[in-house]
Amino acid sequence: MKRRHFIATSSAALAAGFLPSCSGKSAKPKLTVFTWADYLSDEAKAAFEKAHGCEVVIDTFDSNEAMIAKIESGATGYDILVPSSYAVKQLESKGLLQPLDHTKLPNLGNIDKTYLTHALDPEMKISAPYMMAPTCVAYLKSKVPDAEPTWGLFSRADVKGRATLLDDMREVLGAALKNLGHSLNSTDPAQLEAAAALAIEWKTNIAKFENEQYKSGIASGEFHLVHGYAGDLIAVQAENGDIEIVIPKEGASFPCDDLCIPKSAKNADLAHAFINHLCDAEVAAENMEWIGYRAPNTAAYKSLTEDFRGSPILFPPDEVFSKCEPIGYLGDKLPLWTAAWEKVKNA
Amino acid sequence: MKSRKPELLATAPSFLWLALFVFVPVAIIFAIAFRPALPAGGIGEGWSLEAIRSLKDPIYPSLLLRTVTISFVTTALCLALALPVAWHLAKLPPKWRSRILILIIIPFWTNFVIRVFSWQQILHAEGAIANGLRSIGLLGDSDRLLGNSAAVIIVSVYTYLPFAILPIFAAAEKFDFALLDAARDLGAKPFRAFRSVFLPGIRQGLVTAILIVFIPMLGSYVIPDMVGGTDSQMLGNKIAQRNFNDRNLPQAAALSCALTLLVLAPMLLRRKEKAG
Amino acid sequence: MKPSRIPLVTTCIVLAFFYLPIAALVAKSFNSSRFSPEWKGFTLKWYSRLFERDDILAALVNSLKVAVIAASASMLLGTCAAFALHRYKSRLQDAHRVMVNVPLVLPDILMGMSLLLLFIAAGVSLSLATVTIAHVTFCLSYVTLVVLARLQDFDPNIVEAARDLGATRFQAFRKITLPILFPGVLAGGLLAFTLSIDDYVVTFFVKGPGSDTLPTLVYSMIKKSKELPVINALSTLMLLFTFLLVFASQRLTRPVNR
Repeated sequence: MKRRHFIATSSAALAAGFLPSCSGKSAKPKLTVFTWADYLSDEAKAAFEKAHGCEVVIDTFDSNEAMIAKIESGATGYDILVPSSYAVKQLESKGLLQPLDHTKLPNLGNIDKTYLTHALDPEMKISAPYMMAPTCVAYLKSKVPDAEPTWGLFSRADVKGRATLLDDMREVLGAALKNLGHSLNSTDPAQLEAAAALAIEWKTNIAKFENEQYKSGIASGEFHLVHGYAGDLIAVQAENGDIEIVIPKEGASFPCDDLCIPKSAKNADLAHAFINHLCDAEVAAENMEWIGYRAPNTAAYKSLTEDFRGSPILFPPDEVFSKCEPIGYLGDKLPLWTAAWEKVKNA
Repeated sequence: MKSRKPELLATAPSFLWLALFVFVPVAIIFAIAFRPALPAGGIGEGWSLEAIRSLKDPIYPSLLLRTVTISFVTTALCLALALPVAWHLAKLPPKWRSRILILIIIPFWTNFVIRVFSWQQILHAEGAIANGLRSIGLLGDSDRLLGNSAAVIIVSVYTYLPFAILPIFAAAEKFDFALLDAARDLGAKPFRAFRSVFLPGIRQGLVTAILIVFIPMLGSYVIPDMVGGTDSQMLGNKIAQRNFNDRNLPQAAALSCALTLLVLAPMLLRRKEKAG
Repeated sequence: MKPSRIPLVTTCIVLAFFYLPIAALVAKSFNSSRFSPEWKGFTLKWYSRLFERDDILAALVNSLKVAVIAASASMLLGTCAAFALHRYKSRLQDAHRVMVNVPLVLPDILMGMSLLLLFIAAGVSLSLATVTIAHVTFCLSYVTLVVLARLQDFDPNIVEAARDLGATRFQAFRKITLPILFPGVLAGGLLAFTLSIDDYVVTFFVKGPGSDTLPTLVYSMIKKSKELPVINALSTLMLLFTFLLVFASQRLTRPVNR
């Protein structure tokens, strides 16, 4: 009997604790952002909230595809989306985004013009570049001697069973295409066929396709050669000096995440102000150092620490950077790619 | 004639809830399976049997076989472990019983992904367990413990075992253990008593345990994704691939419907047998 | 005859099996290394960082709210359902049984997306409420099945006898059926709570802005965060808190007369 009494009173107490927070509290306008986790520095967020007397509410997703699946199904309630560039194009093709009003975005002048020549939305009609980082290769110097910066590393016999590739169709087939000397956005069936064959060869050599655990894997020595995102690999390198990060000489993908505003946004003005805020030189500099990615913002480059600015991965020399491409939008050619990837996955 | 009111009253709450939040969504999925897929992703107008026809792809039978095998082994292991544990729990004094029960459940209130990460840490190629196995010659120098179906099974058993323990315990707790003494008095060996008296006595608990381990496992994709290797893809991974990567919702829907019907069919047939 | 040692030994092995990764998880929360499992020094920085992260704490509160409500609601609905399925045999119950089993079979992704489509079609905006509805839906099946296990061989004649002796339907339910059901209902509730607090896929599709739950935030953090051990710290604290709660309740409900 006593136990029932205890359960009853404690559940009542718990319930009472929850109820007050159910009622709406602040009358402050809310800016809702759908983005990756840990993708906005505390300072940048707080500064914006203070300057505009609002609250920034962040909702997170873990992949472009999951986010697209949700937005295309009709989910609303977001003022800002932070997808990768090709995902922006996908959303645009379905008419889900609204054009950016440049009169509200004076800071767009800070954006790196060299980057814009490669970008998918060079005139920033519906998106503003936010953060970018190349996809690169990392290996343990002690386990992979005489390593050349090339995609061919994945064919080496001495990494058999101890290498990983990203579990990402665009990244893996893209890397194979680059290795064969083609564009990583190619939609040529013959080129894709060859890329799939190469990827299958790699597949027999690697341990697995891995999107997250390559970080701890290489830090702990479980993997000797990994395919991963620069932002993370640079942080891992800080923990293990044996790690070397390279951008393959054939070129790699240099994807960029962009800020865009959905058609259904309730606070379009506040959203524009947010984009402008993030393009401010000081804010962008602090933000990019916090996140560990590169904001393509020329004005911000001056305020960066020497260490960060000197990173050969985030700021590669021109001859390497010219070979890198952003991940493009495939549109109707998507089935060509998915068929090739299916072959790789089923092999 | 007996009034049906009590039956309707008892059935109504769950039936109505399920009708709205399960039946309608399933109908939606069913409808999507019959629609064409747009090349760039998304659902087109009109109807098409394209997605249904894609089910004939030769990859599916082997995928299904692998999925069913892994699920079957996991379920068997879960039952093998859950039975002794539930037995032990049921015979404990009530004070200890609830303590151990809570002890069993608490680890599962931590985050699932972090738990799997911890398993990856424990089982990783340079870790204590791997090196230990290497020193006694059970593991090759460059082999990994992870990245294969065995790892998928271990982590799946870890994930689903409490789901097997709870229903068997719920049934065992009200089992009259005096029946076993009686059976032994009549000359039955302990194992015989276990098999012929205990197991039937907790029959419904066993059925529930099998249902809530085997069926969800058929559709699991996170575990094979995280600890499996390049050849441990299961049906759930395929559905995720169709949905997110290929942006082919009709095919993902068709696969899910096929899986659902495959699992429900035995249940529906059993009903017909019992009634007829 | 000596009772077999197998049950006790198995229980100890299973508990060790359950807590092995938990030990690793707790150890990592004090490890100053961010990514590598190797020990790089003791630190409490992940704990102090945890308390600066309002978003994680908010997600935790959301998860708890949803789990408690979903577990309670599904315990109620599930018990009714189990009772109906056990007591009555009819075409209605056949359909009922199939419907109860469907959420188990349906892959999470499709369940999440179809619920999203349903909510959008009905014009319901996504929020913690839609997440709760989704959670109740899949928890219901589990609770029903667990309670059904409990109802096996439950003799409805006892209830009839009580009613013959003058008890109302409700009294009979309260004094006879409920005490027998209760451990099963509780087990089902525990199961539901566990499922809810860890659900990711379905929650992702039906959550709205501000309704990030712990699993959805953690999944996203795994991709881009550089302070993942903060989650280990959180999990360790949650474990500690639960242990203390259980310990306290055990002390408080100790029988007075001995």
